[in-house]
Amino acid sequence: MKGDLGGAARLGAGPEVSIEGRLPFLIGAVLLAFGIFAVRLFQLQILQGEEFEGIAQGNAVRLVRLEAPRGDILDREGRVLAATRPAFGVSVMPSDLRSPERTTAALGMLLDAEPEALVERIGTPRGRRRFQPVRLAADLPFDHWGRVESHRFELPGVLTDVRPRRHYVEGELSAHLLGTIGEISADQLRTAKHAGYRAGEVIGRSGIERLLESHLRGRAGGRNVVVDVAGRVVGEPLDEREPAPGGIVTLTIDRDLQRAAEEGFEPDVLGEPGKRGALVALDPRTGDVLALVSKPSFDPNAFAGGIDAVTWKALVTDDWRPLQNRAVAGQYPPGSIYKPVMALAALAAGVVTPQDRFFCPGHFRLGRRVYRCWRRGGHGEVDLREALKQSCDVYFYQVGLQLGIDRIADFARAFQLGSATGFPFGDEKPGLVPTRRWKERRFSEPWQKGETVSASIGQGFSLVTPMQMAVAYAALANGGVILEPRVVLESVSRDGEVVAAGNPTVRGQLSVAPEYLRVVRDALEASVAEPHGTGVRAQVRGVRVAGKTGTAQVVRLKHTEDLEQDEIPIRHRDHAWFVGFAPVDAPEIVVAVLVEHGGHGGAAAAPIAHKVLARYFEKQRRDAVPAVAVAEDSDAGG
Amino acid sequence: MRGVDRRAFQNFDGVLFGLVTGLVVVGLVNLASATHTDAGTSDALRRQLLSLGLGVVALAATVAFDYRHYERLALPLYVGSLALLGLTLVVAPLTRGSQSWLIEGRLQPAELAKLGMVLALARYFHRNPAGQVRRVRDLLRPALLIALPVGLIVLQRDMGVALLTLMVGSTYVALVRIPKRAWVAVALAGVAALAAIWIFGLQSYQRERVLDVVDPGRDPLASGYQVNQSRIAVGSGGLFGKGYREGTQSQLRFLPTQHTDFAFSVLAEEWGFAGSVLVLGAYAMLLIWGLVIASKAKDGFGAMLAVGVVGMLFWPAVLNVGMVLGVLPVIGVPLPFISYGGSALVTNLVAVGLLMNVSLRRWVF
Repeated sequence: MKGDLGGAARLGAGPEVSIEGRLPFLIGAVLLAFGIFAVRLFQLQILQGEEFEGIAQGNAVRLVRLEAPRGDILDREGRVLAATRPAFGVSVMPSDLRSPERTTAALGMLLDAEPEALVERIGTPRGRRRFQPVRLAADLPFDHWGRVESHRFELPGVLTDVRPRRHYVEGELSAHLLGTIGEISADQLRTAKHAGYRAGEVIGRSGIERLLESHLRGRAGGRNVVVDVAGRVVGEPLDEREPAPGGIVTLTIDRDLQRAAEEGFEPDVLGEPGKRGALVALDPRTGDVLALVSKPSFDPNAFAGGIDAVTWKALVTDDWRPLQNRAVAGQYPPGSIYKPVMALAALAAGVVTPQDRFFCPGHFRLGRRVYRCWRRGGHGEVDLREALKQSCDVYFYQVGLQLGIDRIADFARAFQLGSATGFPFGDEKPGLVPTRRWKERRFSEPWQKGETVSASIGQGFSLVTPMQMAVAYAALANGGVILEPRVVLESVSRDGEVVAAGNPTVRGQLSVAPEYLRVVRDALEASVAEPHGTGVRAQVRGVRVAGKTGTAQVVRLKHTEDLEQDEIPIRHRDHAWFVGFAPVDAPEIVVAVLVEHGGHGGAAAAPIAHKVLARYFEKQRRDAVPAVAVAEDSDAGG
Repeated sequence: MRGVDRRAFQNFDGVLFGLVTGLVVVGLVNLASATHTDAGTSDALRRQLLSLGLGVVALAATVAFDYRHYERLALPLYVGSLALLGLTLVVAPLTRGSQSWLIEGRLQPAELAKLGMVLALARYFHRNPAGQVRRVRDLLRPALLIALPVGLIVLQRDMGVALLTLMVGSTYVALVRIPKRAWVAVALAGVAALAAIWIFGLQSYQRERVLDVVDPGRDPLASGYQVNQSRIAVGSGGLFGKGYREGTQSQLRFLPTQHTDFAFSVLAEEWGFAGSVLVLGAYAMLLIWGLVIASKAKDGFGAMLAVGVVGMLFWPAVLNVGMVLGVLPVIGVPLPFISYGGSALVTNLVAVGLLMNVSLRRWVF
């Protein structure tokens, strides 16, 4: 150290030694600093290397979900009712917008939209939000989308996409059957059942869409892509799994019959609101639902892309409740369509024979009350066949009183009335079969005889659904077998596994002698086929049709009794029923029609049943024609 | 003079030349990767090559004359660089939030000022040997030599460079011999001065601004992001790295300012622990070699010059690598030879030229 002084004294002459004493210290400082860096590098790259590699990969590799199309829903003849179509969307990546004003102006022109609205939609996202696309349109007309697509390179930051979207080909047709879809709810996402779902995914909310969700839902595919810091995809995907479309479901529905049925509810006069009510057509041999209508209806397509608040509010607040499936959830007094049940009950109980006659003067007196027959002048002397054919109330008042309410109820239950038919969706209601016990429990009042009189003609407390009546009449038609209605003919799972509807599910068997069933069927045929029958408007040329009309009182008001139906406020008008089947000797189709506040069953409901039956047999004839033609040809040839 | 030159070239310093060439090549290769796009050679790489050419010429020119002539030039150069800094304050447009870029961003006067300051300090400590400084009072004049450029750079609101310049100047403190009590006094005075300035000297908005400027991201939220992404880039490199141009963090631009401040992250990601240690090792060797040159210098000025040059290369490396590895706060200081930046490259090559000059002429006489 002393040398330093000497060295310094010799300013500029000879080697300077002032550094040398400090050299180890300075080199030590360099080694210390770089040693720390080496240790730090070892820590980051060797000890934590794998961890950071994972993070880096998470940064750069992103799984892009590829939505799978839902499976198609077909009618029984393989015609598409619900399919999947491409929905064309346009989004904007705020971070990539070079000149927002020019872009929004151009987009406005291409999309036929107000540029101001677009600007508002995009907003001014900051930070990482700028890297998240803002969706401007999810379902554009193809030509609009095509215009954007073809200008995409002049519009940096504008993204186009095509996603699968549910499409109900026939619009409102069979809306209550097909059902609706929607985004999975937060509550559903929390349940174990929906473990495989992600937020924002589509799920069946009602109808077939919900019932067969597991079949219809496709398996989403995925694509691992490399993205840069802005989330832009770079280069080719690393790997890809194609989405698997959902399975195909074939319904028991016949589109032609469904269409005929829905046409039946169209207004008589153009511009008036359509008729309200429900229709069920069943195959009495299998329980296959051939058509199911509930009116008013809705367009399920409105739900396909997420329903907007206004439409939704309109649907749920509508007084006529278009979302309700009236065929299974609508409970109505049966009125006269109850009479065949009464007739069978009376025959089975031995209360009457088919030959027993009652006199109908047009009214029936019980104590101080007078019960009217619907025909003021009366039907005169009637037996069971005439009573059913002309729907004589007085006949059934007397039969009902002889049976008593509990025996009536027992028999109604044998028809599975008062309990759900087993229809798999639509919030099915059980209806109501009143008994003494029921009334005491419900009202703490004893049963009145007059209430039995009302019940005998399907009035009073009794409530049924159109589906229940279709099932009951199917039993009349098929020899007393209560079948469970079914809507799915066949479903093919995603993996190609076919599940076909097997044998019909039998829920009960009426214990009545076959000849009694024959008697009732014969009377119901007369009701449609013969003059003075109430159901003549259900006739189909060349086909033996049996059926029964019903006119169910909604309110019993003194002041309306003498009024014509169209003079009464609509909410107070009677419900119109018709339930029938054909051909009588070997029934293939049962149709139950209810027109809410439609007035007389014979006038309002029977014509709708006629349309469906006519279409059914017209199709059958048409299908049979080639066979006949061939036969004729061979005859000619022979 | 001719004879002298011949002798000088016989003493050509191959170690110094080799290390610097190696680092420059690594820097260019790394820059090519960091700025790689499908569009071919990047503008940044082309500009850096241009600066390299300029720097080599400047280096050659620096070596050509005996460094002892520079002692006379030291003060004029120092004053000139200060004037340039002052000029920048007046005319330079506001760029990147600070005013240090002159002539359309092609020349950073602060870089030149560092060089001028080192020359001036070398001259001062040559005349007043650092080893003889035993009183705090003796440090006031060199402190002033440091304070002037630092102050001007602070006025330009380039806190990173100001801090760096301060540290480069302070390198000479390592050589002085003041008593331990005096060290404590210096340290306390420094802390007190900083605290006083912080509390009384600055308005709260100025404090915010200082904090903002100290933080090169200017956006407080962004600085955490930078450090984090840099750590991920470095760590994911592993032992041997992901391979040239295969770094996902860098190629997909998750790294911020990856060709300038975070160039070393790119290198560490693509070449791994092995590559990083090799480069840092070369860097450490260069610094140590510089110290050896200083210790063997023929005269005091040469030794002081060499120490100054080592300081010029040591401090930015420490600040930069420390930031990249997440052990020091984020201060926007480029890594010499590796980071993109023309002014810095030319200045660093001139500094190397000075070192080489001292090394070449240690046997002369």
